[in-house]
Amino acid sequence: MISVKNLYHSYNKDGKYQVKDVSFEVANGEVFGFLGPSGAGKSTALNILTGLLPLQQGEVVVGGYDLKKVSNERFNKIGMSFEQSNVYSKLTAKENLDFYRKLFDVPTLDSHTLLKLVGLEGKEHVKAGEFSKGMKHRLTFARSMINNPEMWFLDEPTTGLDPSIAADIKDIIKEKNKEGVTVFLTTHNMFIADELCDRVAFIVDGEIKLIDSPKNLKLQYGDKLVEVEYIEKGEVIKTTLSTVLPEDKRELQKIIEHHDIQTMHTKEATLEEIFIKVTGRGLV
Amino acid sequence: MKLFSSFIKELKLASRGFYFYIELFMAVIILAVFLLLVPDNFNNQRTEYIYFDMPSQTSELFLQEILREDTDGKATPVKVEVDKQEKDAMLYTTTDQKIYVLTSREDVIYMADKEKKIAAVVKLDGDNTINYEYYLQGYESEKFKNLLKILHVESNETIEAAMNNQDVRPLANNFNVLSDRENMMPSVLVFNGALMGLFIIAAYIFLDRKEGVIMAYAVTPSPVWQYLLSKVGVILVTTILSSFLVVIPIMGTQPDYLLLLLLLVTTAFFSSALGLLIASFYKNVTQAFGAIYGFMLLMVLPNIAYFIPSWNPDYLKLIPTYPMLEGFKSVLLGNNDWLYVLTISSGFLLVGVILFSISNRRYKKTLLG
Ligand SMILES: Nc1ncnc2c1ncn2[C@@H]1O[C@H](COP(=O)(O)OP(=O)(O)OP(=O)(O)O)[C@@H](O)[C@H]1O
Ligand SMILES: [Mg+2]
Repeated sequence: MISVKNLYHSYNKDGKYQVKDVSFEVANGEVFGFLGPSGAGKSTALNILTGLLPLQQGEVVVGGYDLKKVSNERFNKIGMSFEQSNVYSKLTAKENLDFYRKLFDVPTLDSHTLLKLVGLEGKEHVKAGEFSKGMKHRLTFARSMINNPEMWFLDEPTTGLDPSIAADIKDIIKEKNKEGVTVFLTTHNMFIADELCDRVAFIVDGEIKLIDSPKNLKLQYGDKLVEVEYIEKGEVIKTTLSTVLPEDKRELQKIIEHHDIQTMHTKEATLEEIFIKVTGRGLV
Repeated sequence: MKLFSSFIKELKLASRGFYFYIELFMAVIILAVFLLLVPDNFNNQRTEYIYFDMPSQTSELFLQEILREDTDGKATPVKVEVDKQEKDAMLYTTTDQKIYVLTSREDVIYMADKEKKIAAVVKLDGDNTINYEYYLQGYESEKFKNLLKILHVESNETIEAAMNNQDVRPLANNFNVLSDRENMMPSVLVFNGALMGLFIIAAYIFLDRKEGVIMAYAVTPSPVWQYLLSKVGVILVTTILSSFLVVIPIMGTQPDYLLLLLLLVTTAFFSSALGLLIASFYKNVTQAFGAIYGFMLLMVLPNIAYFIPSWNPDYLKLIPTYPMLEGFKSVLLGNNDWLYVLTISSGFLLVGVILFSISNRRYKKTLLG
């Protein structure tokens, strides 16, 4: 269980907040995602939750541990995978994991099993420094589940990976979640959010604009979008408009009155389109 | 247990890196240079300054006696710089001495006191007895002292009487009796241990910062101090290894090895804690370079003073390497001065613990910085 109330964070303590009044709750066994463009404050919030950044203002409880009271013990229940892979390049894949296992007080997974899980079988004795970017990321990801965490924090788990590796990682996350692991992830990829998350929070400029399940969001916004293709000054223009938002409705009327319509149909919105509608911002 | 496996991991990492070998490599080079190139004593010819406080016909007798030992049988007129002024002097060169005969008592005392030279005033008292005032520095060889005796042209009894009349007053009291080669050892230990330790531990931290592995450590139940202490452990190992590598072949059985170990551990702990603290203020080596370099320069100052006996201002004693040098000197001499070395060691241990705990707090707070 994660509970966050009125969280604020300012890196330079200059009155400018990179995380502003963020509140949310994640239930046990849930997959919760922060979806937002680069610089939105996703990693900042996540790093506060995992104790990498100090808690400046707000109330945060992670797995029953109040972050105001320092306790290293809580890390036995927590796993974290980093946005940028961070392993010892001078140690082999196996040595990296073997050393990490010894840092916990709880039973840990065997290094070999973990490497197999992320497709690094046979690379046990290769130094991480000789790994490709994707392989390092998989090692970092594998390390995050070494202590069978109850709560799993994943910062951009698939960003920058080729699609087949990304698909493998998605499968592992789903599998772990089935076993009861609570997942908190950040992403700017709507497909990840859509496919993995029970609920997503849209975050822009450090603020949460909306929290809901992808399914609800689509129900709410889905059939209320129309895709129009029309001709203006000899060119074909394609646009997607809401049938709910007043300015979109006016725009649609204008198009119908003044232009030659080629095609027009309602469509299911993607999470990205919904994001744009809600926040007025794209995901990149 | 966690601490131990952290330490083993750090050793493994270090042994696969470049910095680990710098110290050992330096130790081997130093050893080779010392054994093959540096003579036991740079110059066996001792230089001394004498003034004859007596009528010239009496002093002539002395000078003739010295001339008999002179390699070319004649004195050379030379200029000697005394207190920034050029003074006339006569130079007598024997196989193991260079004797400057000066023209005033004050000049001889100046040479002894300020330039730390061996100097003597030979004086004829009112009752015609000869009076010798020696200003020895404590490092004169027996050979030299004997030679001083045979220079006296008086009868044996007079010599004896004169010897008995000697009034020996030390001008400074930490006489060392290390050979020139051995005399450089404390500096080698301070440089290769303390100064390199400071730099290398900072380099290790920046390496980890660059790889981001400190963050991975921070999300485990293991405390930060164990992470830091295991790095300190690696520095201790390299310092002890490289120091013993140099000391054992050169010094043989003379040093108190137990005390040496104690002093090496505490001084290396101190300097690596200082290195950790400095590194905690910077993101990478480039940024920290100025500060590290500055600290190393400051720490080198007492080393320089060590070789220039006449330059020894009091403020140098405040620099940590000053007591380090003194401590190593005592240990290498085999003085068996437990109290002195224990005092110095516990001082470094105490300051080290303080620096280490400040570092620990800083690293806890600035893991992402
Ligand atoms: N160490 C830091 N010091 C000062 N400002 C920072 C620091 N780290 C991040 N920021 C700023 O805080 C804001 C949020 O950054 P954050 O890394 O949380 O974004 P993000 O949503 O994770 O982005 P991305 O998708 O690119 O990872 C950005 O404006 C960033 O410039
Ligand atoms: Mg981020």
